Amino acid sequence: MVVYSFYIFDRHTECIYSRRWTPRPSSDSKSNRPLSGSSTFSNGETTVSRRKELSKEDDAKLIFGTVFSLRNMVKRLGGDDDNFLSYRTNEYKLHYYETPTRLKFVMITDTRMNNMRIALHQIWVNLYVEYVVKNPLSPVEHPGGVGVANELFEFGLERFMATVLPP
Amino acid sequence: MVVFALLVINKAGGLIYNREFHSGLSKLSGNDYLILAGTFHGVHAISRSLCPSALRPSATNVSQPRQGATGIEVLESENFRMQCYQTVTGTKFLLFTEPQQPNVDVILKRIYELYADFVMKNPFHTVEMPIRSEKFDRGLEGYIRVNR
Repeated sequence: MVVYSFYIFDRHTECIYSRRWTPRPSSDSKSNRPLSGSSTFSNGETTVSRRKELSKEDDAKLIFGTVFSLRNMVKRLGGDDDNFLSYRTNEYKLHYYETPTRLKFVMITDTRMNNMRIALHQIWVNLYVEYVVKNPLSPVEHPGGVGVANELFEFGLERFMATVLPP
Repeated sequence: MVVFALLVINKAGGLIYNREFHSGLSKLSGNDYLILAGTFHGVHAISRSLCPSALRPSATNVSQPRQGATGIEVLESENFRMQCYQTVTGTKFLLFTEPQQPNVDVILKRIYELYADFVMKNPFHTVEMPIRSEKFDRGLEGYIRVNR
């Protein structure tokens, strides 16, 4: 089971947090488990090979467009109390959770993963609310992701993902 | 087994067949279904080009969907589950069922067979145009009702 990436979008359709994990190389030992997206991007080789692809921002925009359309489609078909949970293609699975404040949490995993809605809810309650909303230095809105990617949140997310996906 | 509805979308994103078997989804107007089909067609295409970078061959251009990438296959919500089957020619069959429905791919395969038999083999049918075939209607009706 692999988690590829994680995004938070605010109610102004902006991506305020994104994080990518590279999958664990199967031959490597547990200690070599890739942890943060930033560390892989600081690695010279991977950066070069990824430059040709869509930038991170473009990816986030595409993901937002997709979940926004699907969410509206689901609301229209299933009624207002219905919620879009996830979709699966043959390569990946996208999990979605929306808070009452229209904050959107998106996680992309491999296809074998069960529903991550509860995990996304926990990230919101235990990490986002605790370390971002309750942070007195963080602004109310987060244009450009200001105040979201603080140390406690990043560390908490890291730890949480390690418990969700035991090595 | 509860099958809510079947939509067939042609390769250009137009809705060519729309049938409701069981109430459970909101009532939509014909226009809404057309919009829905068009939207899904677009999202399906985007979901093909979206791909976790770990799986992506590094040199390929991402705007071109890679070979072997299917778009959305299953969409889950609290009230329903939608399975999409795309044929080699690009026609999409969307089947809406209740969330715990097992073996939806078998049902879709059978519906595709009915489509091949009663729609494609009909000499009066124009491809990519709305499906008006009484035999297809009856075949579907029989299959879905018998399996309930």
